[in-house]
Amino acid sequence: MRTPDLLRLPLIGRFFRWRYSRFVLQIPLLLVAFLALYDGFVGRQLAPKNFATVSVWLHYRGFLVLAIAVLGNLFCAACPMMLVRGPTRFAKRFLPEFKWPRALRNKYFVIALTLFYLFAYEYWDLWASPWLTAWLILGYFGVAFVVDTLFPEGTFCKYVCPLGNFNFTLSTVSPTQITARDPEVCLRCEGKYCVNGRVETSSGRKTLREAPEAEGLRFPGCETKLYVPQIQSNMDCTLCMNCVRACPYDNVAWKLRAPGTEAAWARYKIDVVWLGVLLFFAGFMNAFAMVPPYYQLAEGLSKLLGTRNEALLLSTIYVLWTGLGFLLTLGVAMLADRVSGVRASPLKAVRFWGTGFFPLAFAMWAGHYAFHFLTGWASIIPVTQQALLNLGLPVGEPDWTLAALVPENWLYPLQVAILYLGLLAASYVLFRRARERNHFLAGGLVFTYFFLLVALALWVLAQPMEMRGTLLLPQ
Amino acid sequence: MRRVVLLALVLLSACRPKTGEPLEAEVRFVPEHPTVGKAEICIEVDPRLELTRIKVVGDMTHPGMIPVEAEAHPAGPGLWRVDAFDFNMRGDWVLTLTAYDKQGKKYTKEVRLTVP
Repeated sequence: MRTPDLLRLPLIGRFFRWRYSRFVLQIPLLLVAFLALYDGFVGRQLAPKNFATVSVWLHYRGFLVLAIAVLGNLFCAACPMMLVRGPTRFAKRFLPEFKWPRALRNKYFVIALTLFYLFAYEYWDLWASPWLTAWLILGYFGVAFVVDTLFPEGTFCKYVCPLGNFNFTLSTVSPTQITARDPEVCLRCEGKYCVNGRVETSSGRKTLREAPEAEGLRFPGCETKLYVPQIQSNMDCTLCMNCVRACPYDNVAWKLRAPGTEAAWARYKIDVVWLGVLLFFAGFMNAFAMVPPYYQLAEGLSKLLGTRNEALLLSTIYVLWTGLGFLLTLGVAMLADRVSGVRASPLKAVRFWGTGFFPLAFAMWAGHYAFHFLTGWASIIPVTQQALLNLGLPVGEPDWTLAALVPENWLYPLQVAILYLGLLAASYVLFRRARERNHFLAGGLVFTYFFLLVALALWVLAQPMEMRGTLLLPQ
Repeated sequence: MRRVVLLALVLLSACRPKTGEPLEAEVRFVPEHPTVGKAEICIEVDPRLELTRIKVVGDMTHPGMIPVEAEAHPAGPGLWRVDAFDFNMRGDWVLTLTAYDKQGKKYTKEVRLTVP
Protein backbone atom coordinates (compact mmCIF):
# COMPACT_ATOMS: atom_id res chain seq x y z
CA MET A 1 0.00 0.00 0.00
CA ARG A 2 1.33 3.44 -0.89
CA THR A 3 1.32 5.71 2.12
CA PRO A 4 2.26 9.40 2.29
CA ASP A 5 5.93 10.26 2.79
CA LEU A 6 6.34 13.24 5.09
CA LEU A 7 9.71 14.04 3.52
CA ARG A 8 7.89 14.74 0.25
CA LEU A 9 6.13 17.67 1.92
CA PRO A 10 7.88 20.86 0.80
CA LEU A 11 8.99 22.43 4.07
CA ILE A 12 9.43 19.27 6.16
CA GLY A 13 11.51 17.44 3.57
CA ARG A 14 13.74 20.42 2.94
CA PHE A 15 14.20 21.05 6.65
CA PHE A 16 15.21 17.49 7.53
CA ARG A 17 17.62 17.25 4.60
CA TRP A 18 19.39 20.36 5.89
CA ARG A 19 22.47 19.25 7.82
CA TYR A 20 21.78 21.55 10.77
CA SER A 21 18.12 20.54 11.20
CA ARG A 22 18.83 18.38 14.25
CA PHE A 23 20.88 21.13 15.83
CA VAL A 24 17.95 23.53 15.37
CA LEU A 25 15.64 21.01 17.07
CA GLN A 26 18.13 20.53 19.92
CA ILE A 27 18.59 24.22 20.72
CA PRO A 28 15.19 24.79 22.44
CA LEU A 29 15.64 21.71 24.63
CA LEU A 30 19.21 22.72 25.43
CA LEU A 31 17.98 26.13 26.60
CA VAL A 32 15.29 24.39 28.65
CA ALA A 33 17.98 22.15 30.17
CA PHE A 34 20.17 25.18 31.04
CA LEU A 35 17.26 27.02 32.67
CA ALA A 36 16.26 23.83 34.53
CA LEU A 37 19.82 23.43 35.80
CA TYR A 38 19.96 27.05 36.92
CA ASP A 39 16.59 27.06 38.66
CA GLY A 40 17.06 23.55 40.04
CA PHE A 41 20.31 24.50 41.74
CA VAL A 42 19.62 28.13 42.59
CA GLY A 43 15.82 28.62 42.63
CA ARG A 44 13.31 27.96 45.38
CA GLN A 45 13.29 24.29 46.38
CA LEU A 46 9.56 23.86 45.94
CA ALA A 47 8.68 21.56 43.05
CA PRO A 48 5.51 23.28 41.76
CA LYS A 49 7.33 26.62 41.74
CA ASN A 50 10.59 25.55 40.18
CA PHE A 51 11.32 25.35 36.47
CA ALA A 52 13.41 22.18 36.81
CA THR A 53 10.65 20.04 38.31
CA VAL A 54 7.77 21.52 36.31
CA SER A 55 9.55 21.34 32.95
CA VAL A 56 10.94 17.83 33.48
CA TRP A 57 8.15 16.03 35.35
CA LEU A 58 5.17 17.71 33.74
CA HIS A 59 5.94 19.17 30.35
CA TYR A 60 8.78 17.04 29.06
CA ARG A 61 6.87 13.85 29.86
CA GLY A 62 3.54 15.23 28.62
CA PHE A 63 4.88 16.54 25.31
CA LEU A 64 6.90 13.35 24.88
CA VAL A 65 3.85 11.03 24.83
CA LEU A 66 1.93 13.55 22.76
CA ALA A 67 4.72 13.73 20.16
CA ILE A 68 4.97 9.93 20.06
CA ALA A 69 1.21 9.61 19.57
CA VAL A 70 0.95 12.30 16.93
CA LEU A 71 4.19 11.91 14.97
CA GLY A 72 7.04 9.88 16.44
CA ASN A 73 10.15 9.88 18.58
CA LEU A 74 10.79 13.61 18.20
CA PHE A 75 12.29 13.93 21.66
CA CYS A 76 15.23 11.66 20.78
CA ALA A 77 15.61 13.67 17.57
CA ALA A 78 15.77 16.87 19.61
CA CYS A 79 17.78 15.38 22.49
CA PRO A 80 20.21 18.05 23.72
CA MET A 81 22.41 15.39 25.32
CA MET A 82 23.61 14.45 21.87
CA LEU A 83 25.28 17.85 21.70
CA VAL A 84 28.03 16.26 23.78
CA ARG A 85 29.15 14.70 20.48
CA GLY A 86 31.44 17.66 19.80
CA PRO A 87 33.29 17.28 23.12
CA THR A 88 33.33 13.47 22.79
CA ARG A 89 35.00 13.68 19.38
CA PHE A 90 37.60 15.96 20.91
CA ALA A 91 38.12 13.66 23.91
CA LYS A 92 38.37 10.61 21.64
CA ARG A 93 41.66 12.04 20.29
CA PHE A 94 43.28 11.45 23.66
CA LEU A 95 41.43 8.40 24.95
CA PRO A 96 41.17 4.84 23.69
CA GLU A 97 37.87 3.66 22.25
CA PHE A 98 36.50 0.35 23.51
CA LYS A 99 33.94 -1.99 22.01
CA TRP A 100 30.69 -2.18 23.94
CA PRO A 101 30.74 -5.66 25.57
CA ARG A 102 28.88 -8.26 23.52
CA ALA A 103 27.02 -9.46 26.61
CA LEU A 104 25.50 -5.99 26.99
CA ARG A 105 24.41 -5.57 23.37
CA ASN A 106 20.76 -6.05 24.25
CA LYS A 107 18.10 -4.38 26.38
CA TYR A 108 18.76 -6.21 29.66
CA PHE A 109 21.17 -3.53 30.90
CA VAL A 110 18.57 -0.89 30.05
CA ILE A 111 15.90 -2.95 31.86
CA ALA A 112 18.11 -2.98 34.98
CA LEU A 113 18.80 0.77 34.70
CA THR A 114 15.10 1.49 34.18
CA LEU A 115 14.24 -0.46 37.32
CA PHE A 116 16.90 1.43 39.27
CA TYR A 117 15.67 4.74 37.89
CA LEU A 118 12.06 3.96 38.90
CA PHE A 119 13.24 2.97 42.36
CA ALA A 120 15.27 6.20 42.63
CA TYR A 121 12.28 8.23 41.41
CA GLU A 122 10.17 6.97 44.29
CA TYR A 123 12.84 6.60 46.97
CA TRP A 124 14.41 10.03 46.57
CA ASP A 125 11.16 11.70 45.42
CA LEU A 126 12.84 13.11 42.33
CA TRP A 127 9.54 14.70 41.30
CA ALA A 128 9.52 16.76 44.50
CA SER A 129 13.13 17.93 44.40
CA PRO A 130 14.34 20.63 42.00
CA TRP A 131 17.89 20.07 43.25
CA LEU A 132 17.90 16.32 42.52
CA THR A 133 16.16 16.92 39.19
CA ALA A 134 18.95 19.32 38.23
CA TRP A 135 21.53 16.71 39.26
CA LEU A 136 19.68 14.12 37.18
CA ILE A 137 19.93 16.37 34.10
CA LEU A 138 23.60 17.06 34.74
CA GLY A 139 24.30 13.39 35.43
CA TYR A 140 22.60 12.44 32.17
CA PHE A 141 24.83 14.81 30.20
CA GLY A 142 27.86 13.44 32.06
CA VAL A 143 27.05 9.77 31.43
CA ALA A 144 26.25 10.49 27.75
CA PHE A 145 29.64 12.18 27.45
CA VAL A 146 31.58 9.38 29.16
CA VAL A 147 29.84 6.50 27.34
CA ASP A 148 30.03 8.05 23.89
CA THR A 149 33.67 9.03 24.45
CA LEU A 150 34.83 5.57 25.52
CA PHE A 151 32.57 3.61 23.18
CA PRO A 152 31.36 4.11 19.59
CA GLU A 153 28.85 6.91 19.03
CA GLY A 154 25.29 5.77 19.53
CA THR A 155 26.20 3.30 22.30
CA PHE A 156 24.61 5.52 24.92
CA CYS A 157 21.32 5.84 23.00
CA LYS A 158 21.01 2.17 22.10
CA TYR A 159 22.32 0.33 25.13
CA VAL A 160 22.39 2.72 28.11
CA CYS A 161 19.84 5.54 28.02
CA PRO A 162 16.67 4.48 29.91
CA LEU A 163 14.81 7.52 28.63
CA GLY A 164 15.79 6.90 25.00
CA ASN A 165 14.78 3.26 25.27
CA PHE A 166 11.51 4.31 26.87
CA ASN A 167 10.96 6.53 23.80
CA PHE A 168 11.99 3.73 21.41
CA THR A 169 9.56 1.29 23.01
CA LEU A 170 6.62 3.67 23.13
CA SER A 171 7.28 4.95 19.59
CA THR A 172 6.44 1.48 18.28
CA VAL A 173 2.86 2.79 18.35
CA SER A 174 3.71 5.99 16.42
CA PRO A 175 2.01 6.73 13.11
CA THR A 176 5.30 7.23 11.20
CA GLN A 177 8.38 5.17 10.37
CA ILE A 178 11.61 5.52 8.44
CA THR A 179 11.73 3.21 5.45
CA ALA A 180 13.23 2.86 1.97
CA ARG A 181 11.34 4.47 -0.90
CA ASP A 182 12.48 1.81 -3.32
CA PRO A 183 14.25 -1.25 -1.84
CA GLU A 184 15.72 -2.01 -5.29
CA VAL A 185 17.80 1.16 -5.04
CA CYS A 186 19.19 -0.08 -1.71
CA LEU A 187 20.10 -3.43 -3.28
CA ARG A 188 22.19 -1.61 -5.88
CA CYS A 189 23.70 0.81 -3.33
CA GLU A 190 27.44 0.24 -3.18
CA GLY A 191 28.18 1.88 0.17
CA LYS A 192 25.09 1.41 2.36
CA TYR A 193 25.61 5.05 3.23
CA CYS A 194 22.50 5.26 5.45
CA VAL A 195 24.29 3.11 8.02
CA ASN A 196 27.96 3.66 7.11
CA GLY A 197 27.83 7.41 6.53
CA ARG A 198 29.00 9.28 3.45
CA VAL A 199 31.86 11.63 2.69
CA GLU A 200 32.15 13.48 -0.60
CA THR A 201 35.87 13.91 -1.21
CA SER A 202 37.73 15.48 -4.11
CA SER A 203 38.56 11.96 -5.24
CA GLY A 204 34.97 10.77 -5.11
CA ARG A 205 32.34 9.39 -2.75
CA LYS A 206 33.37 7.16 0.14
CA THR A 207 31.77 5.77 3.26
CA LEU A 208 32.77 7.26 6.58
CA ARG A 209 33.48 3.75 7.79
CA GLU A 210 36.20 3.17 5.17
CA ALA A 211 37.56 6.72 5.27
CA PRO A 212 36.81 8.17 8.70
CA GLU A 213 39.47 10.88 8.42
CA ALA A 214 38.77 11.87 4.80
CA GLU A 215 38.39 15.58 4.02
CA GLY A 216 35.16 16.66 2.36
CA LEU A 217 31.46 17.10 2.92
CA ARG A 218 30.55 14.59 5.62
CA PHE A 219 27.17 12.98 6.30
CA PRO A 220 27.20 10.61 9.31
CA GLY A 221 25.13 7.44 9.04
CA CYS A 222 22.69 5.91 11.51
CA GLU A 223 23.86 6.31 15.10
CA THR A 224 22.26 3.07 16.22
CA LYS A 225 23.32 1.10 13.13
CA LEU A 226 19.94 0.59 11.51
CA TYR A 227 20.01 -0.26 7.81
CA VAL A 228 17.06 1.56 6.23
CA PRO A 229 15.62 -1.16 3.92
CA GLN A 230 15.61 -3.59 6.84
CA ILE A 231 13.83 -1.28 9.29
CA GLN A 232 10.57 -2.91 10.43
CA SER A 233 10.18 -1.03 13.64
CA ASN A 234 10.79 2.32 15.33
CA MET A 235 12.81 0.50 17.99
CA ASP A 236 16.29 2.09 18.21
CA CYS A 237 15.37 4.86 15.74
CA THR A 238 16.18 8.28 17.18
CA LEU A 239 14.68 10.08 14.15
CA CYS A 240 18.00 11.89 13.83
CA MET A 241 17.47 11.76 10.02
CA ASN A 242 21.16 11.02 9.44
CA CYS A 243 20.02 8.32 7.00
CA VAL A 244 18.03 10.89 5.01
CA ARG A 245 21.07 13.11 4.61
CA ALA A 246 23.56 10.28 4.11
CA CYS A 247 21.63 8.60 1.29
CA PRO A 248 22.96 10.02 -1.99
CA TYR A 249 19.95 8.65 -3.89
CA ASP A 250 17.26 10.44 -1.88
CA ASN A 251 15.77 7.02 -1.21
CA VAL A 252 14.81 7.37 2.46
CA ALA A 253 11.15 7.99 3.30
CA TRP A 254 9.46 8.98 6.55
CA LYS A 255 6.15 7.30 5.93
CA LEU A 256 2.80 7.44 7.64
CA ARG A 257 1.49 4.09 8.82
CA ALA A 258 -1.38 2.72 10.91
CA PRO A 259 -0.63 3.70 14.53
CA GLY A 260 -0.38 1.02 17.19
CA THR A 261 -0.08 -1.86 14.74
CA GLU A 262 3.69 -2.30 14.39
CA ALA A 263 3.76 -4.99 17.07
CA ALA A 264 1.44 -7.14 14.94
CA TRP A 265 4.11 -7.85 12.33
CA ALA A 266 7.47 -6.80 13.73
CA ARG A 267 9.69 -9.62 15.01
CA TYR A 268 11.33 -8.25 18.14
CA LYS A 269 14.10 -9.98 20.01
CA ILE A 270 13.12 -11.35 23.42
CA ASP A 271 14.98 -8.63 25.37
CA VAL A 272 12.98 -5.98 23.50
CA VAL A 273 9.71 -7.74 24.33
CA TRP A 274 10.71 -7.91 28.01
CA LEU A 275 11.39 -4.18 27.91
CA GLY A 276 7.84 -3.64 26.61
CA VAL A 277 6.43 -5.87 29.35
CA LEU A 278 8.49 -4.06 31.99
CA LEU A 279 7.33 -0.65 30.81
CA PHE A 280 3.70 -1.66 31.17
CA PHE A 281 4.15 -2.98 34.71
CA ALA A 282 6.46 -0.12 35.67
CA GLY A 283 3.96 2.40 34.27
CA PHE A 284 1.26 0.75 36.33
CA MET A 285 3.41 0.95 39.47
CA ASN A 286 4.33 4.57 38.78
CA ALA A 287 0.62 5.46 38.80
CA PHE A 288 -0.19 3.10 41.68
CA ALA A 289 2.46 4.79 43.85
CA MET A 290 0.30 7.92 43.89
CA VAL A 291 -2.92 6.50 45.33
CA PRO A 292 -3.96 5.52 48.90
CA PRO A 293 -4.11 1.70 48.37
CA TYR A 294 -0.36 1.77 47.63
CA TYR A 295 0.36 3.33 51.01
CA GLN A 296 -1.99 0.84 52.69
CA LEU A 297 -0.10 -1.97 50.96
CA ALA A 298 3.21 -0.49 52.18
CA GLU A 299 1.89 -0.29 55.78
CA GLY A 300 0.71 -3.91 55.56
CA LEU A 301 4.02 -5.08 54.12
CA SER A 302 5.87 -3.14 56.81
CA LYS A 303 3.94 -5.01 59.54
CA LEU A 304 4.40 -8.34 57.77
CA LEU A 305 8.18 -7.94 57.37
CA GLY A 306 8.62 -6.15 60.68
CA THR A 307 10.58 -3.30 59.16
CA ARG A 308 10.09 0.40 58.43
CA ASN A 309 13.08 0.54 56.10
CA GLU A 310 11.67 2.41 53.10
CA ALA A 311 14.32 1.22 50.64
CA LEU A 312 13.65 -2.40 51.55
CA LEU A 313 9.87 -2.01 51.35
CA LEU A 314 10.02 -0.12 48.05
CA SER A 315 12.41 -2.67 46.51
CA THR A 316 10.19 -5.51 47.70
CA ILE A 317 7.07 -3.95 46.18
CA TYR A 318 8.83 -3.23 42.86
CA VAL A 319 10.53 -6.62 42.61
CA LEU A 320 7.35 -8.49 43.57
CA TRP A 321 5.17 -6.53 41.16
CA THR A 322 7.48 -6.63 38.12
CA GLY A 323 8.47 -10.23 38.93
CA LEU A 324 4.81 -11.18 39.12
CA GLY A 325 4.20 -9.36 35.84
CA PHE A 326 7.03 -11.24 34.10
CA LEU A 327 5.92 -14.61 35.49
CA LEU A 328 2.25 -14.06 34.66
CA THR A 329 3.16 -12.99 31.13
CA LEU A 330 5.37 -16.04 30.75
CA GLY A 331 2.60 -18.32 32.05
CA VAL A 332 -0.15 -16.82 29.88
CA ALA A 333 2.05 -16.87 26.74
CA MET A 334 2.98 -20.52 27.37
CA LEU A 335 -0.67 -21.42 27.93
CA ALA A 336 -1.67 -19.64 24.70
CA ASP A 337 1.05 -21.57 22.86
CA ARG A 338 -0.14 -24.89 24.27
CA VAL A 339 -3.77 -24.09 23.41
CA SER A 340 -2.74 -23.31 19.83
CA GLY A 341 -0.83 -26.58 19.68
CA VAL A 342 2.65 -25.06 19.57
CA ARG A 343 5.36 -26.57 21.75
CA ALA A 344 7.89 -23.77 21.55
CA SER A 345 10.16 -22.66 24.40
CA PRO A 346 8.65 -20.32 27.04
CA LEU A 347 10.75 -17.40 25.78
CA LYS A 348 9.59 -17.95 22.21
CA ALA A 349 6.02 -17.89 23.51
CA VAL A 350 6.64 -14.51 25.19
CA ARG A 351 8.32 -13.25 22.01
CA PHE A 352 5.24 -14.19 20.01
CA TRP A 353 2.41 -13.04 22.30
CA GLY A 354 4.15 -10.44 24.46
CA THR A 355 4.36 -7.83 21.69
CA GLY A 356 0.79 -6.87 22.55
CA PHE A 357 2.26 -5.12 25.58
CA PHE A 358 3.75 -2.33 23.43
CA PRO A 359 0.49 -0.44 22.81
CA LEU A 360 -0.61 -1.21 26.38
CA ALA A 361 2.61 0.24 27.80
CA PHE A 362 2.13 3.38 25.74
CA ALA A 363 -1.48 3.73 26.93
CA MET A 364 -0.50 3.22 30.59
CA TRP A 365 2.14 5.97 30.54
CA ALA A 366 0.13 8.27 28.28
CA GLY A 367 -2.90 8.00 30.58
CA HIS A 368 -0.81 8.84 33.62
CA TYR A 369 1.22 11.63 32.02
CA ALA A 370 -1.90 13.13 30.43
CA PHE A 371 -3.36 13.58 33.91
CA HIS A 372 -0.37 15.56 35.20
CA PHE A 373 0.18 17.49 31.99
CA LEU A 374 -3.44 18.55 31.59
CA THR A 375 -3.75 19.35 35.30
CA GLY A 376 -0.78 21.63 35.36
CA TRP A 377 0.22 22.55 31.81
CA ALA A 378 -0.06 26.33 32.26
CA SER A 379 2.14 26.26 35.37
CA ILE A 380 5.11 26.38 32.98
CA ILE A 381 4.33 30.09 32.45
CA PRO A 382 4.77 31.31 36.06
CA VAL A 383 7.75 29.00 36.73
CA THR A 384 9.51 30.27 33.60
CA GLN A 385 8.76 33.83 34.67
CA GLN A 386 10.10 33.10 38.14
CA ALA A 387 13.29 31.51 36.81
CA LEU A 388 13.86 34.45 34.46
CA LEU A 389 13.10 36.89 37.30
CA ASN A 390 15.76 35.11 39.35
CA LEU A 391 18.11 35.76 36.45
CA GLY A 392 17.22 39.43 36.70
CA LEU A 393 15.13 39.66 33.54
CA PRO A 394 12.04 41.92 33.62
CA VAL A 395 9.25 39.46 32.74
CA GLY A 396 6.46 40.53 35.08
CA GLU A 397 4.97 38.97 38.21
CA PRO A 398 4.11 35.27 37.91
CA ASP A 399 0.46 34.27 38.19
CA TRP A 400 0.64 31.05 40.21
CA THR A 401 -3.03 30.25 39.73
CA LEU A 402 -2.38 29.32 36.09
CA ALA A 403 -2.57 25.56 35.87
CA ALA A 404 -5.26 23.38 34.32
CA LEU A 405 -5.89 22.96 30.60
CA VAL A 406 -9.16 21.04 30.83
CA PRO A 407 -11.85 20.76 33.54
CA GLU A 408 -10.91 18.21 36.19
CA ASN A 409 -13.93 16.01 35.49
CA TRP A 410 -12.69 15.40 31.92
CA LEU A 411 -9.47 13.81 33.08
CA TYR A 412 -10.65 10.34 34.08
CA PRO A 413 -12.82 9.82 30.96
CA LEU A 414 -9.81 10.86 28.90
CA GLN A 415 -7.58 8.36 30.71
CA VAL A 416 -10.20 5.65 30.16
CA ALA A 417 -10.32 6.50 26.45
CA ILE A 418 -6.50 6.31 26.18
CA LEU A 419 -6.40 2.92 27.92
CA TYR A 420 -9.26 1.58 25.77
CA LEU A 421 -7.41 2.69 22.64
CA GLY A 422 -4.31 0.90 23.93
CA LEU A 423 -6.36 -2.23 24.56
CA LEU A 424 -7.90 -1.93 21.10
CA ALA A 425 -4.45 -1.76 19.49
CA ALA A 426 -3.26 -4.67 21.65
CA SER A 427 -6.32 -6.69 20.57
CA TYR A 428 -5.42 -6.05 16.93
CA VAL A 429 -1.89 -7.30 17.61
CA LEU A 430 -3.29 -10.43 19.30
CA PHE A 431 -5.83 -10.96 16.50
CA ARG A 432 -3.04 -10.91 13.89
CA ARG A 433 -0.91 -13.24 15.98
CA ALA A 434 -3.85 -15.62 16.54
CA ARG A 435 -4.66 -15.57 12.82
CA GLU A 436 -1.06 -16.48 12.08
CA ARG A 437 -1.58 -19.57 14.24
CA ASN A 438 -5.12 -20.01 12.96
CA HIS A 439 -6.22 -20.37 16.58
CA PHE A 440 -8.34 -17.54 17.95
CA LEU A 441 -8.94 -19.13 21.36
CA ALA A 442 -5.22 -18.68 22.12
CA GLY A 443 -5.46 -14.99 21.22
CA GLY A 444 -8.60 -14.74 23.35
CA LEU A 445 -6.72 -16.10 26.34
CA VAL A 446 -4.03 -13.44 26.10
CA PHE A 447 -6.70 -10.81 25.46
CA THR A 448 -8.47 -11.80 28.71
CA TYR A 449 -5.17 -11.30 30.55
CA PHE A 450 -4.73 -7.85 28.96
CA PHE A 451 -8.34 -6.95 29.69
CA LEU A 452 -7.89 -7.75 33.39
CA LEU A 453 -4.68 -5.71 33.52
CA VAL A 454 -6.41 -2.74 31.90
CA ALA A 455 -9.33 -3.08 34.32
CA LEU A 456 -6.85 -3.01 37.21
CA ALA A 457 -5.13 0.04 35.69
CA LEU A 458 -8.48 1.83 35.38
CA TRP A 459 -9.19 1.07 39.03
CA VAL A 460 -5.84 2.64 39.98
CA LEU A 461 -6.49 5.74 37.88
CA ALA A 462 -9.96 6.08 39.44
CA GLN A 463 -8.48 6.36 42.96
CA PRO A 464 -8.05 9.76 44.62
CA MET A 465 -4.53 11.09 44.29
CA GLU A 466 -2.15 11.08 47.24
CA MET A 467 1.07 12.91 46.44
CA ARG A 468 3.28 11.81 49.27
CA GLY A 469 7.01 11.59 49.48
CA THR A 470 7.14 9.16 52.39
CA LEU A 471 6.04 5.57 52.01
CA LEU A 472 4.96 5.23 55.65
CA LEU A 473 3.32 7.84 57.83
CA PRO A 474 5.33 8.82 60.94
CA GLN A 475 4.41 6.71 63.98
CA MET B 1 35.58 36.08 27.94
CA ARG B 2 35.73 34.57 31.42
CA ARG B 3 35.60 38.05 32.95
CA VAL B 4 32.53 38.95 30.90
CA VAL B 5 30.74 35.77 32.04
CA LEU B 6 31.73 36.42 35.66
CA LEU B 7 30.55 40.04 35.45
CA ALA B 8 27.26 38.95 33.89
CA LEU B 9 26.73 36.41 36.68
CA VAL B 10 27.43 39.02 39.35
CA LEU B 11 25.06 41.50 37.72
CA LEU B 12 22.33 38.93 37.27
CA SER B 13 22.61 37.65 40.82
CA ALA B 14 22.44 41.24 42.05
CA CYS B 15 19.06 41.56 40.33
CA ARG B 16 17.56 38.52 42.04
CA PRO B 17 14.21 39.35 43.66
CA LYS B 18 14.30 39.55 47.43
CA THR B 19 12.66 36.62 49.22
CA GLY B 20 11.93 38.42 52.51
CA GLU B 21 12.98 38.11 56.11
CA PRO B 22 12.16 34.88 57.94
CA LEU B 23 8.88 35.12 59.83
CA GLU B 24 9.03 33.94 63.42
CA ALA B 25 5.61 32.38 63.87
CA GLU B 26 3.88 29.48 65.58
CA VAL B 27 1.49 27.72 63.20
CA ARG B 28 -1.24 25.39 64.50
CA PHE B 29 -4.11 23.61 62.81
CA VAL B 30 -7.63 22.79 63.91
CA PRO B 31 -7.98 19.81 63.79
CA GLU B 32 -4.38 19.30 64.92
CA HIS B 33 -3.63 16.88 62.06
CA PRO B 34 -5.65 18.07 59.06
CA THR B 35 -7.23 15.56 56.71
CA VAL B 36 -8.66 16.20 53.24
CA GLY B 37 -11.15 19.05 53.50
CA LYS B 38 -11.29 22.36 55.33
CA ALA B 39 -9.10 23.15 58.33
CA GLU B 40 -8.45 26.20 60.45
CA ILE B 41 -4.95 27.66 60.51
CA CYS B 42 -3.88 29.70 63.55
CA ILE B 43 -0.75 31.82 63.18
CA GLU B 44 0.85 33.34 66.24
CA VAL B 45 3.44 36.06 65.70
CA ASP B 46 5.21 38.57 67.91
CA PRO B 47 2.66 41.44 68.29
CA ARG B 48 5.52 43.95 68.14
CA LEU B 49 5.93 43.13 64.43
CA GLU B 50 2.75 45.13 63.64
CA LEU B 51 1.80 43.06 60.64
CA THR B 52 -0.84 44.34 58.24
CA ARG B 53 -1.35 41.26 56.13
CA ILE B 54 -0.61 37.54 56.08
CA LYS B 55 -1.19 35.50 52.95
CA VAL B 56 -1.12 31.70 53.06
CA VAL B 57 -0.41 29.68 49.91
CA GLY B 58 -0.61 25.90 49.97
CA ASP B 59 1.25 23.87 47.35
CA MET B 60 1.46 20.13 46.87
CA THR B 61 5.01 18.87 46.54
CA HIS B 62 4.21 17.45 43.10
CA PRO B 63 4.52 19.98 40.30
CA GLY B 64 1.46 21.03 38.38
CA MET B 65 -1.18 21.23 41.08
CA ILE B 66 -3.13 24.47 41.47
CA PRO B 67 -2.08 26.23 44.68
CA VAL B 68 -4.65 26.99 47.38
CA GLU B 69 -4.51 30.63 48.46
CA ALA B 70 -6.05 32.27 51.50
CA GLU B 71 -5.79 35.53 53.42
CA ALA B 72 -5.45 35.31 57.19
CA HIS B 73 -7.47 37.76 59.27
CA PRO B 74 -6.41 39.26 62.60
CA ALA B 75 -7.97 37.48 65.57
CA GLY B 76 -6.28 39.22 68.50
CA PRO B 77 -2.89 40.69 69.40
CA GLY B 78 -0.31 38.75 67.39
CA LEU B 79 -2.90 36.17 66.39
CA TRP B 80 -4.02 35.59 62.82
CA ARG B 81 -6.42 32.99 61.52
CA VAL B 82 -7.49 31.32 58.27
CA ASP B 83 -10.96 29.92 58.97
CA ALA B 84 -11.31 27.29 56.30
CA PHE B 85 -8.15 26.43 54.42
CA ASP B 86 -8.98 23.87 51.75
CA PHE B 87 -6.62 20.89 51.85
CA ASN B 88 -8.16 19.52 48.68
CA MET B 89 -5.88 16.50 48.18
CA ARG B 90 -4.08 13.88 50.23
CA GLY B 91 -0.32 14.12 50.27
CA ASP B 92 2.58 16.39 51.17
CA TRP B 93 1.75 20.08 51.46
CA VAL B 94 3.98 23.10 51.71
CA LEU B 95 2.35 26.19 53.21
CA THR B 96 4.06 29.47 52.44
CA LEU B 97 3.19 32.31 54.77
CA THR B 98 3.96 35.75 53.42
CA ALA B 99 3.50 38.64 55.84
CA TYR B 100 3.91 42.41 55.46
CA ASP B 101 4.38 44.98 58.20
CA LYS B 102 3.38 48.66 58.29
CA GLN B 103 6.56 49.69 56.51
CA GLY B 104 5.84 47.20 53.71
CA LYS B 105 8.64 44.90 54.84
CA LYS B 106 8.14 41.30 53.72
CA TYR B 107 8.49 38.22 55.94
CA THR B 108 8.14 34.57 54.86
CA LYS B 109 7.81 31.20 56.53
CA GLU B 110 7.42 27.70 55.11
CA VAL B 111 5.48 24.95 56.89
CA ARG B 112 5.48 21.36 55.63
CA LEU B 113 2.84 18.82 56.57
CA THR B 114 1.36 15.57 55.31
CA VAL B 115 -2.39 15.32 54.85
CA PRO B 116 -3.34 11.65 55.10
